[in-house]
Amino acid sequence: MSRHQNLRNLDLDDELDDFDGGEDYEYDGLGDGAEELSEEDQENMRVGTIAVREELPPQASHVTDKQIREALWHYYYDIEKSVGYLVSTYAAKPKAQKKSKAQEVKKIPVDEICSKPFSFADFFKDTPWLNVPIERQAILIPPLCPKGGLLGGSSDGAPKISKLQALAAARKKKALEQKSSNTGIEQPMASLSLDQSASGSSSEKTTTGSSSTTTFGTRAFPIRKRKDSNPHEKVPKAPHDREPDLPPADVQMEMEPIDQAEPSAFANTMFSNASSPPPRRFESFFTLPYMNAATPTSTDPFAGPSPDDVVIAAQAKAAGKGGKGPPKTNGQKKVDQIANGVEALKVDDTPKATSKNLDVLAEFKKSKSKNAANFVVIGHVDAGKSTLMGRLLYDLKVVDQRTIDRYRKEAESMGKSSFALAWVLDQGFEERSRGVTIDIAMNKFETEKTSFTILDAPGHRDFIPNMIAGAAQADFAVLVIDASTGSFESGLKGQTKEHALLVRSMGVQRIIIVVNKLDTVNWSEERFMEIQHQVSSFLTTAGFQAKNIAFIPCSGLLGDNIARRSTEAAASWYTGPTLIEELDNSEPIARALDKPLRLTIGDIFRGGVQNPLSISGRIEAGSLQTGDALLAQPAGQKCFIKGLEIDSEPVDWAIAGQNVTVHLSGIEEQYLKIGDVLSSPSSPIQNIKQFTAKVLAFEFLTPMQVDVHRGRLHAPGTIKEIVAVLDKGTGTAVGGKKKPRIVKPGQVVRVVVELDVVVPLEAPARVVLRSNGETVAAGLLE
Amino acid sequence: MATDRRRINGPTGGTSAPIYLKTLTKEAEAQTERPTRTRAPNVLRKMFLKTGVTPSASGSAYLELEASKALTSTKSGLASHSISGLKLTCTVHGPRPLPRSAPFSPHVILSTHVKFGPFATRKRRGYLRDASERDLGVHLETALRGVIIGDRWPKSGVEVIITILEGEEDRWWGDDRVAEGLSAGDWGMMSVLSGCITVASAAIADAGIDCVDVVSGGVAAVVRSGQGKQVSTTLVLDPVPSEHQEVLAAAIVAYLPGRDELTDLWVKGDIGHEGRSSGQSATYEELADHAVQAALGSHRVLVAALKETADLKMGRS
Repeated sequence: MSRHQNLRNLDLDDELDDFDGGEDYEYDGLGDGAEELSEEDQENMRVGTIAVREELPPQASHVTDKQIREALWHYYYDIEKSVGYLVSTYAAKPKAQKKSKAQEVKKIPVDEICSKPFSFADFFKDTPWLNVPIERQAILIPPLCPKGGLLGGSSDGAPKISKLQALAAARKKKALEQKSSNTGIEQPMASLSLDQSASGSSSEKTTTGSSSTTTFGTRAFPIRKRKDSNPHEKVPKAPHDREPDLPPADVQMEMEPIDQAEPSAFANTMFSNASSPPPRRFESFFTLPYMNAATPTSTDPFAGPSPDDVVIAAQAKAAGKGGKGPPKTNGQKKVDQIANGVEALKVDDTPKATSKNLDVLAEFKKSKSKNAANFVVIGHVDAGKSTLMGRLLYDLKVVDQRTIDRYRKEAESMGKSSFALAWVLDQGFEERSRGVTIDIAMNKFETEKTSFTILDAPGHRDFIPNMIAGAAQADFAVLVIDASTGSFESGLKGQTKEHALLVRSMGVQRIIIVVNKLDTVNWSEERFMEIQHQVSSFLTTAGFQAKNIAFIPCSGLLGDNIARRSTEAAASWYTGPTLIEELDNSEPIARALDKPLRLTIGDIFRGGVQNPLSISGRIEAGSLQTGDALLAQPAGQKCFIKGLEIDSEPVDWAIAGQNVTVHLSGIEEQYLKIGDVLSSPSSPIQNIKQFTAKVLAFEFLTPMQVDVHRGRLHAPGTIKEIVAVLDKGTGTAVGGKKKPRIVKPGQVVRVVVELDVVVPLEAPARVVLRSNGETVAAGLLE
Repeated sequence: MATDRRRINGPTGGTSAPIYLKTLTKEAEAQTERPTRTRAPNVLRKMFLKTGVTPSASGSAYLELEASKALTSTKSGLASHSISGLKLTCTVHGPRPLPRSAPFSPHVILSTHVKFGPFATRKRRGYLRDASERDLGVHLETALRGVIIGDRWPKSGVEVIITILEGEEDRWWGDDRVAEGLSAGDWGMMSVLSGCITVASAAIADAGIDCVDVVSGGVAAVVRSGQGKQVSTTLVLDPVPSEHQEVLAAAIVAYLPGRDELTDLWVKGDIGHEGRSSGQSATYEELADHAVQAALGSHRVLVAALKETADLKMGRS
């Protein structure tokens, strides 16, 4: 409020001399209006009114003095503007002659208009009636016509300027104005201002024009001397060679002719305006296909074999080649692989490394790490797999007492107290509330000799695909059997059988059978022996060797015979090893370390801010290190390893058999999905659409729709052909029937499977064929 | 094989009609279909350049190089076979403020996208940018970054988006089957990149972004011609790969004539050493020099096009 009073006390005229705003003026003007005019103002008003009255054209003569005064007040005694305002509001429009006057008047400085009255008579004093000199004539500028074309085109006006740009332009303009008004003293300061680069560059340009040598002399880069003899006479000299005294416009003229082309038919349609003549026809551009006789075709099109014939012949040849030679049996191949692996460990076979150039194999030998083994825990639903593993981890102090206590409390509150140990592995909410494992749970523990990775597979039949994914990563299996009455029998019909067959067909050789829940049958040796008898006979027929099968009676809930020996008197009949001891007995598995890299993606996730894209999975073959390039199949995209983690510890390298987390760069998430394979770009895994496999049928097989599973990878496909039934022992084709229509369960057959999409698969890979939620066959790719 | 998993794509390469090699090689006249270079080695293809073609963008430009003419106009084959032109459009958006989440940057952040239209080359391109397109983008960014005065636009970004409507072929279509096993060489990429640089430069000028100079691109190549023992190598400006039997090496430069500077130089291929002693074969330096000459040629067209637009805006025409 006090500020307003200040304003009111100000000398209005002094202030208005350098006044350039509108708001405060308006306030004052309205507030103490015309009745409080000072003497000087009154004088001005009087003179102004007379002047305006003189100026007004006859058709506006009816304007009152009050209106004139008001106009003068609002335009601050600017007679010209007041007249314009009055004429436009109170009279018809003035003639065109007026306009030229107005333009001339504008050029007169403002203070002159204010100080002394202006009359047009003075102005037109020396103007002749006819032949008005050119500088006095009005210049009429025709409006720019839009050139036509697409959507009006931005070329006709200024390009669309963003807000930021407009702001910068305004600032620049302001700075320029300031500079122009500056005197010489302020020049050095101006050159220090923001605008320096603009002025600097312009001055630099002139120096470049006048004496290019000086500019180049100050530069830090070595400049290669341009040759004087220009091999291309048609190309004129560079603009920097031009004469300094020539104005730039002339140089432009001089550089004609320019290799500018006429717009093509396409460009014509896009940019030409409507008035332009229709574009001439380009005959060579729009010829119709096959209309011209000169197209290269032979005179007699039926002389040679038709393209179809060629294809059929080639196919026939290929088929003949493919059918030849019996494949190596599984066992032989394994032996070969192991032999190769051992050799490779001795010979320094350096894999190509990029970033740290580590010799991964040598590093691995040096590291002297413990043997690593992965095992999958399988069995019928509710056999106690998760609980058994929870107990194992608890007894080995991997999980502390406090966590178990917490789980116990939570489980009790949900009314499932017996599930507390299973919750160590079953982390998901749904898994806990339903009390079943849904996806593979992974955990690690170490004994003195070996570090183990547990893959706790779901037992429920709905989640068999997840179980297959887990089994594909396993070196051996732990089959858990529920010993309680009735459960064992139902299990043997159900997933106990299916899982055992699956892990066998996934290539697992060794199996440990844990007869669980023996405490519910009072550690009855009889029951244990019965189970052992039945299961071992079944496993032998499934293809497990007797020496690779071990039976352990135990109780997962109580922990007997798992990490510690059973203290129950009723269980004293058992003197064999505990589960931990049995696990330790497992021999180290030879890895395919020197093979090209294969890594199946088990999971894709965002590994934090630093690593927007990470994957985890088990390295099936080969090795990798930070900085390596990888090829993701089937997308065929290249990517690079940004970082590696094993068990949440950053590492520099990883080898086959390890479960790693790989932080990737140079690839987008859309190219990866679970089940894709990362391989080395030098020897990439191939995408295939069709494969031949030797499979063991679990159900009746006909040419039918199947899902092909390989680890995490699964793809829909069709059994296209059943080639032959094979002998189980020798692997040779048997039977007079060449192509069986249907295969009975238990038979080994060679089938051709065609996939709906391309997938990265290569022999020897173990695949499982499922149909309608049931495993129908499993076997080996050929 | 880059798979685009977001769209249902048609079969790849589904649009080119089959040409059977057997009938091709047998016919002598088929060989005459091969386009040959009718320009002198030092003459560039004519260029059409126009700025301000996209109204919604801050700046835009369209560039087109004339198609090489069929040797005999009467015997024209399929339209898609005989032509190899180059048509590019470029839009520049910005400078505009960076999103709030972006970290502070004292310079303008330049991002370049180069995308082939799916129909741009004989072999259909996917909808996602593949490795070669990303590569072009990186080269273009290098070429432009040296020109734009970045510190005038702190905390802001400029996007340069180039769509290739018609790309340069890597080889003559008749060689497609023969050379399937050989490495394609990607020679067409060089011309495309050169065009990209020139058109992006025009669009940036149209957008009114401050630059030290107008950059332009130019290509030169060493090509092998002749048959049998009379094989000779020549240095040509602005090569069209389909017009030459074999391109040995090519260089592309992004050149600033006002300062005599290069912002990007990319040399590809092997000139070979056999001709070095006799002085017949060109050196890499010569190759780069010739590319600079080509860049000068395109610079003149560029300047003329910009001048035309400027005249139009000032109402001087």
